[in-house]
Amino acid sequence: MTAVVDLLLTRYNYVAVVLLLGIGVYMIGASENLVKKVIGMNVFQTGIFLFFMTSAFVTGGHVPIIKEGVERYVSPLPHVLILTAIVVGVSLTAVALALIVRIYAEYGTLQEDVLREIQTDE
Amino acid sequence: MSDARRSPYVESTIIMTTVRVIAPFVMTYGLFVMFHGAKSPGGGFQGGAIVGALVLMLAFAFGADPTREWVNQRVVVGLLVVGVATFVGIGLATMALRGSFLEYAVIAGAKSSKYAIELIELGIGAIVSGVITSLFFLIDAGFDVEADAADAGGETPEETPGEPSSGEVGS
Amino acid sequence: MAPTPVEAGLLVVILGSALATAVLRDVLGSIIAFSAYSLGVAMLWVVLRAPDVGLTEAAVGAGVMTILLLLTIAKTVRPSEDRVLASFDPKTLVLVAAFVLALGATVPALPAVGSPDAPVVSSEVSQYYLDHAYKDTGVENVVTAVLAAYRGFDTLGEAVVVFTAGVAVVAVLKREVTA
Repeated sequence: MTAVVDLLLTRYNYVAVVLLLGIGVYMIGASENLVKKVIGMNVFQTGIFLFFMTSAFVTGGHVPIIKEGVERYVSPLPHVLILTAIVVGVSLTAVALALIVRIYAEYGTLQEDVLREIQTDE
Repeated sequence: MSDARRSPYVESTIIMTTVRVIAPFVMTYGLFVMFHGAKSPGGGFQGGAIVGALVLMLAFAFGADPTREWVNQRVVVGLLVVGVATFVGIGLATMALRGSFLEYAVIAGAKSSKYAIELIELGIGAIVSGVITSLFFLIDAGFDVEADAADAGGETPEETPGEPSSGEVGS
Repeated sequence: MAPTPVEAGLLVVILGSALATAVLRDVLGSIIAFSAYSLGVAMLWVVLRAPDVGLTEAAVGAGVMTILLLLTIAKTVRPSEDRVLASFDPKTLVLVAAFVLALGATVPALPAVGSPDAPVVSSEVSQYYLDHAYKDTGVENVVTAVLAAYRGFDTLGEAVVVFTAGVAVVAVLKREVTA
């Protein structure tokens, strides 16, 4: 029991990462609606971002903008990676949503089970 | 473009007035973030996202179609092209000056790399704001089944002259 | 290092709103919860000393993404629901539980949050950027320096990916942005 409490107290962000990834996977797997699957994909993605940002963080670290007299900064490299990943992520989400709009125009539904039925009928 | 589906837009005086008041400030802030990326948190991705969000905010308040008319679409596409061209152009320019790709130090002048980086950030800002704006308008325009059917029939529909993707549609 | 009250509060908000996006049956409710989630995440980035990322997340996640999602359900269909909560999928839940346990087993091996000995923080690469960025480029913001100078080629690739996404949407919806 103390091990779990210790884990929550020292590695809280990583625990949150694991939970967010779990919620994301559940939404992708269990949601019947395609829009909700896309939201789940984004939750999963943000979980990975949190992992990167936590790895860059150091207690008492300063924002990585060079200033006289500051000794310790947080690592700038993960910030750069995630910064570009966020913008690429929204672009990919837009492509996914465009596909959803197209699927709706063709089949008239966004429910996965109904889509599967239509496909087996064809 | 007239879609069969009605626009979900609802006119609201409160939203319109609020957006009208804060829009110039959001624009200024977005440009500040873009220009001031060297000294403070900010840069092309951040500023571009803010400016892109501003256009979406305007569409939210005044409706997508009036905003589409107000924001010249040629300017949006131009922004994208100028952004990518700036980035690649600076890279090639440093190569022409016998440096490596994007090796800013070979450009003559004091603080040349800082100004080259600022220019690149502006290019990134142009790409990001342009893409966000055009993605929004594209998804808003939606998919037109009848136009596609006419397209697949082999005849180019009159409303989209010179459509780029007609080649892959085939028959 | 125990979490500060701000961090703990933000994590609770983030996990709560993520859970709400998953369990709410109505897609509109899910989108609103996702918007709140993004805002919480953006604030967490600021707490983790990453204002650059926080700015982008607030504009993109809470702003652009929400509007694009809302636009999609306005363009398509929003199934009307009587129930508030989504139906439960036990099969997926078992799978997810296994996934979470497998990932969770690796957590004790990770360094404590904020530890100065963590591999990323103490790595040579991070230190090199912090030591040389200002001298090499004249830019105080190391994130900008790494983005545009040290990893400039990578950033060019990212910009082209974003550009390509625009082209892909044109191809999927077969529509040109016309004047």
